[in-house]
Amino acid sequence: MMDTDWRAPGEIGPWVILSWVLIALGAYGGLPWVALEYGLGDFTPDEWLSALGWHHHRATFALPLTIALLTPLAWGRASGRLRGWLLTLSSGLILIGVLTFFLATRGAMGLGAGVVVLCLTALLAVGFSELGFQRGDCFIAGAVIFVVTLVVVFIFFPVWQIFRHVLMDKAGALAPFTFFRIITSFGVGRVIGNTLLLAVSVATATTICGLIFALYAVRATTRLRYLIRIFYILPIITPPFVVGMSLILLFGRAGMVNDALVFLFGPQGLFIPEGGAPLFERSGYIYGFTGIFLAQVLSLTPVSYMVISGMLASVNPAMEEASLTMRAGRWETLWHVTLPLLRPGIANAFLLNLISSAADFGNPLVLGGEYDVLSTEIYFSIAGAQLDFAKAAGLGLVLLTLSLTVFYIQKRWVGERSYVTVTGVETAGNVTPLPKGLQRSMTLFVGVWFLLVGVLYVSIFLGGFVKQWGADYTLTLAHHLELWSKGFSSGAWPSFIHSLLYALVAAPLTTLVGVLVAYILTRKQFLGRGIIDFGTVLIFAIPGTVTGVAYILAFNTPPIELTGTAAILIITMAIRAMPVGIRGGMSALSQISTSLEEASLLQRAGSRKTIRFVLLPLLKPTIISSMAYSFIRAMTTVSAVIFLATAGTDVATTYILSRVESGDTGVAVAYGSVLILTMLIFTLLVQLVTGRARTERQTRTH
Amino acid sequence: MSGTSLKISLEKVSKLFGKVCAINTVDIEFAPGALTTLLGPSGCGKTTLLRLVSGLEPATSGRIWFGDEEVTHLSATRRDVGMVFQSYALFPHMTVAQNVGYGLKILNAAAADIAARVKEALEMVAMDGFQRRFPNELSGGQQQRVAVARAMVLRPKVLLFDEPLSNIDSKLRRSMREDIRRLQQASGITAIYVTHDQAEALAVSDEIIIMRQGAIEQKGPPQSLYHRPATAFVANFIGESNVVAAELGGQSGERWLAIGETYLDVSHRADLPVENGPVQLSLRPEFIEIVSKEAADESRRTALAGTIVQSAYMGAVYEYAIQTPVGRIFTRAPATGTRFQRHQPVDLRIQPDEVIVIPESVPDSPAA
Ligand SMILES: Nc1ncnc2c1ncn2[C@@H]1O[C@H](COP(=O)(O)OP(=O)(O)O)[C@@H](O)[C@H]1O
Ligand SMILES: [Mg+2]
Repeated sequence: MMDTDWRAPGEIGPWVILSWVLIALGAYGGLPWVALEYGLGDFTPDEWLSALGWHHHRATFALPLTIALLTPLAWGRASGRLRGWLLTLSSGLILIGVLTFFLATRGAMGLGAGVVVLCLTALLAVGFSELGFQRGDCFIAGAVIFVVTLVVVFIFFPVWQIFRHVLMDKAGALAPFTFFRIITSFGVGRVIGNTLLLAVSVATATTICGLIFALYAVRATTRLRYLIRIFYILPIITPPFVVGMSLILLFGRAGMVNDALVFLFGPQGLFIPEGGAPLFERSGYIYGFTGIFLAQVLSLTPVSYMVISGMLASVNPAMEEASLTMRAGRWETLWHVTLPLLRPGIANAFLLNLISSAADFGNPLVLGGEYDVLSTEIYFSIAGAQLDFAKAAGLGLVLLTLSLTVFYIQKRWVGERSYVTVTGVETAGNVTPLPKGLQRSMTLFVGVWFLLVGVLYVSIFLGGFVKQWGADYTLTLAHHLELWSKGFSSGAWPSFIHSLLYALVAAPLTTLVGVLVAYILTRKQFLGRGIIDFGTVLIFAIPGTVTGVAYILAFNTPPIELTGTAAILIITMAIRAMPVGIRGGMSALSQISTSLEEASLLQRAGSRKTIRFVLLPLLKPTIISSMAYSFIRAMTTVSAVIFLATAGTDVATTYILSRVESGDTGVAVAYGSVLILTMLIFTLLVQLVTGRARTERQTRTH
Repeated sequence: MSGTSLKISLEKVSKLFGKVCAINTVDIEFAPGALTTLLGPSGCGKTTLLRLVSGLEPATSGRIWFGDEEVTHLSATRRDVGMVFQSYALFPHMTVAQNVGYGLKILNAAAADIAARVKEALEMVAMDGFQRRFPNELSGGQQQRVAVARAMVLRPKVLLFDEPLSNIDSKLRRSMREDIRRLQQASGITAIYVTHDQAEALAVSDEIIIMRQGAIEQKGPPQSLYHRPATAFVANFIGESNVVAAELGGQSGERWLAIGETYLDVSHRADLPVENGPVQLSLRPEFIEIVSKEAADESRRTALAGTIVQSAYMGAVYEYAIQTPVGRIFTRAPATGTRFQRHQPVDLRIQPDEVIVIPESVPDSPAA
């Protein structure tokens, strides 16, 4: 609300401006102004010295001089809004100067320049707030500008790069037909068709399975339903392609099922008479549509289960009882009352999994065979020697459009209605049990499912301990020894440590920003809100492979050159996990009445103190679980990081995939099982901690 | 402490939410040290007006003054107001003592100081000893007492109450509103109290402001609003009232009010409009008496004829609805008297001195 005329509340002491100025000067003096040749991990003192601003280019001398000019503003209580104008204009101008410098010299920004830009942005926020932005609240103004900057640099800019590569040729001239040429080129139509067919089939199947699981978990009277509550944890902690790998172990050419069938019905099989024609030949039927479909259904059903069961739990039992009292049977009630009530949840589950299936990269990569889908096609047009960036960008654009369209439909037509409202009103009545026959067939279905999942996971863990799956089932420790006992600088350790390290940095970062975004979106109205709003939509909808391509295109060249560094992987992990923090923050904040914050404001606490003393303590459970979940997401993500990880920065998932590609299934499976175990232990630990916190709270209230 | 009481003034204040005009060019003064009630139907802008005073909501236009200081552009944090919210808004993760001492802690008071001031504030609301409880271990009434203590502990310039009693059961409400009144008078802090309950407004206020659609309909002490409502809207809102159409006629010295066929002699009343013509009357139930149908058919009737259509036993009184030629009239009669039955024809005796005459010409425009 820039138009209302708000004076700064005067929370801005001299130290705010002074400290930002000092940090900026320090960064200019001591941190590399331009990017170091080999990144921050590897440099000589000489390289460091020559990268410093005052060493690098004479023009940078202007920077400390102009920044120092801002210092007097720290004390001056200039009349009216003069100080605000001075601060805004001068820091804005210097900022533009710095950016122009890098664009003009085609240099890559170093850490020092980054810090200077950050400080200038902060000073700009102070200036804006003095002009009345966010009602003169410097902290909120800073947060808003910070988030907008992040969204612009790490979302809009990369996505724009995709457009640029599609719309322009290498010289920068407009090439309107590139996109047309790409999508009409040989095979692309088939790839798009494949993707759509797969996505629709998977979404349909997972929705039906999710519905069955939800009905079973909430309504069945058997013991088996208790198992369902833990079954959705498995896919969360499993890297996406590991399910595909286990399917290969089970159904692959040398898989157990093939072995068994050959043993029974193959040439000289048990049931085949001497000299008779075999009924079965070894085949790779699992590769292609069948395999990807099966893997995705297995790993995405828990998502639709969660969406639908949340909805089901919120259905007021009184409505079903009303139907029963009107002489409708259980079947009619289920069909005419319960299912229609679940319609938004069902639609939501369908659309969510439509996006997830189209975006999935790991399973098609492992199981695809001849069946190309968009996400793998994008990868293969950059990977190896092809380096066809225009094609990758074009296909990325198609995938992004598809995903955004579905996301838009989801948000527009069902997103709003499927929010489960927690009213705190006790819903009276008992839940209606399932019809007997239905429950029996569901028990069978769920039982078979659990059996399959159980066998899959067992085969993953066993796979790491046998010599050669399919050929030689001798037990061995060789794979694990190769991974874990050859020192910390070879085998699995470097990638494992990278994964842990990056995820440990990314998780708090993404949670912080995610909750901040949620706070701004739920609590603040201002001019540029639409930017953040749209940025969030992109964060939610953008498929990982598209992020990967976009980041390669955006951050491979100056002014922000990040490829090959750990920073880009951390940023990617943070962006991929950000929906977790945003969603968690939004739902938690919508449960916290704004009058609590207002009560705090009226008790003389500014917004910074209000957030610290009121919101943060109340958000603590959300923050902890978001952080844990983000950590897991960061550890298991593969689609985006596979584009960005290099030999020096490879992570667990990319390492495993590279071993799969080179045919070392045993090693890959061994690593995968350790990864799953790590995640499982981590999840249990977190549940233990948060669970204890919850029970403590409960005992306090009684 | 009443020496520090401040006058709060709003000068042509408006508030727009997008295109919705929640407050429309309001000019008011809240008397120093007084408790002024904002009364009006839901959605008329009471909460918005309160939030404009608190600074939680910026005014779209106009100026706000606390005494001689203009606070229009001051944020809520720096306006020095205390507010009691409808939902109590106690911090669920803090104890009672931490809740009440929150502002003191923010202002960096010493721990011993905080404890003493908190104790003092809690004693005021009879909640001393509950320091270590959490809000969810208190009843609604107790929570609201703590909220009052928290709002007053910093000795603010203004106290704001937004329907503070609407979540409390009716027995307790009565004693709570007396407590609030007592505390406010003892502190001498200028207070603004929002409610939609006219009985509550009449009981606690020094002054009442009736609001309607974002504007002020009438302002005055409770008695004057009750006895001299400027508009039918006010008459309907304050107390119970039957508003009927009538005609004012006759010359000075001999004036009458015609309600349908019934004529009331109002010759000796000095407070009537000078001009004759159609008017609206507000008839309070307590000034309408039900009698059995009179046999004699006078040429100029002084009683309003009607038929009982509803009759309810309420303990101390009977409540009746009577269908008359000018509309349905609601009144009461002591339960000690005779009970009239449904469909029974009756006469209504109206005391001419207590009839409130609302000039037809200014029925809806807000009074200045
Ligand atoms: N934050 C808001 N955004 C949009 N409209 C609002 C907002 N707050 C109040 N209003 C509108 O302003 C009018 C007055 O509301 P309010 O002050 O809450 O009424 P009251 O407290 O008298 O019930 C209503 O029409 C309401 O819809
Ligand atoms: Mg209100």
